[in-house]
Amino acid sequence: MVAMLLPQALVEPDRREVRAMIDRLERTLPLPVMTQTPEVEETVEERTARFERDAMVYLDQLYSAGLRMTRNPQDAEDLVQETYAKAFAAFHQFKPGTNLKAWLYRILTNSFINTYRKKQRQPIQDSHDVIEDWQLARAETHTPAGLKSAEAQALEHLPDSDVKDALQQIPEDFRLAVYLADVEGFAYKEIAEIMGTPVGTVMSRLHRGRGQLRTLLADYARGRGLVHEQSDVAEEVTQ
Amino acid sequence: MSYGPRHPIGCDQILSRVYFFIDNELDEADSRQIRQHLDACAPCLDEVAVERLVKALVARSCSERAPVELRQRVVFSIRQVQLEVSQLELGHPRPDVD
Repeated sequence: MVAMLLPQALVEPDRREVRAMIDRLERTLPLPVMTQTPEVEETVEERTARFERDAMVYLDQLYSAGLRMTRNPQDAEDLVQETYAKAFAAFHQFKPGTNLKAWLYRILTNSFINTYRKKQRQPIQDSHDVIEDWQLARAETHTPAGLKSAEAQALEHLPDSDVKDALQQIPEDFRLAVYLADVEGFAYKEIAEIMGTPVGTVMSRLHRGRGQLRTLLADYARGRGLVHEQSDVAEEVTQ
Repeated sequence: MSYGPRHPIGCDQILSRVYFFIDNELDEADSRQIRQHLDACAPCLDEVAVERLVKALVARSCSERAPVELRQRVVFSIRQVQLEVSQLELGHPRPDVD
């Protein structure tokens, strides 16, 4: 991704502002810690019923997420089954009233990392670099209004299969951050908790993932002839 | 850099915060500032619209239904764990599984 470099005077005040925003978000971390449930007398059968009632409603969502992670239905099924088994085994540690969906996603993500991704772990980036990186990654000037409307119209007509294909092509960490934000609507601090990373890293992954995704989607739109006489649209989003 | 009364913040500051804005990560005062800018700035509004669209496309495209067999497998494995836990709880404290 080619960064558009701005005069320092333009970038500096904003960087301070964004850093302050990250500080604010970091202060709200961590999410409620899963503590031991206060010992209400609950039989194993009652706990099973409570778990099935509260957790099974997320099956479709966890399966969809599993598909995006593993890119393969069989692995996604195994991953989801493993997630539910682990979640139930640890359910007595889940604090009622806290975010069950986020908790299940965290177990899903951990299971995925431990089972399917061990061999290809990526080095952890320094959070300072991460901030610089995404600050520069985004071109902070816009193009004339007409171009964006044309791009929006083209993207809107893309079939779901193209969007899924494009998602599969961006790096896994970016894909997961984008998925958790866009499909599940998790807040940055929840995504940070689920992925086990600082909030700044989540922001970086979202920025870079969405930038790459948008470029890919514009390519698909062009390939399908959805962009008419607007070669500059595709060039502009490719940056 | 200075902006007139109608533009308390510039386009560069809007564009650097598009994601915070569309992800609802800004407080009310900051969001209002951005909405005010968008009311008066068509190019920024378009930029926000494209980013919202990409977000909506991702959401629209990623809602699969779990196969029926998966539901059965999951329920079965929950019952298996339940059985193990009941046996453990007869004689031992609960395990701390993570």
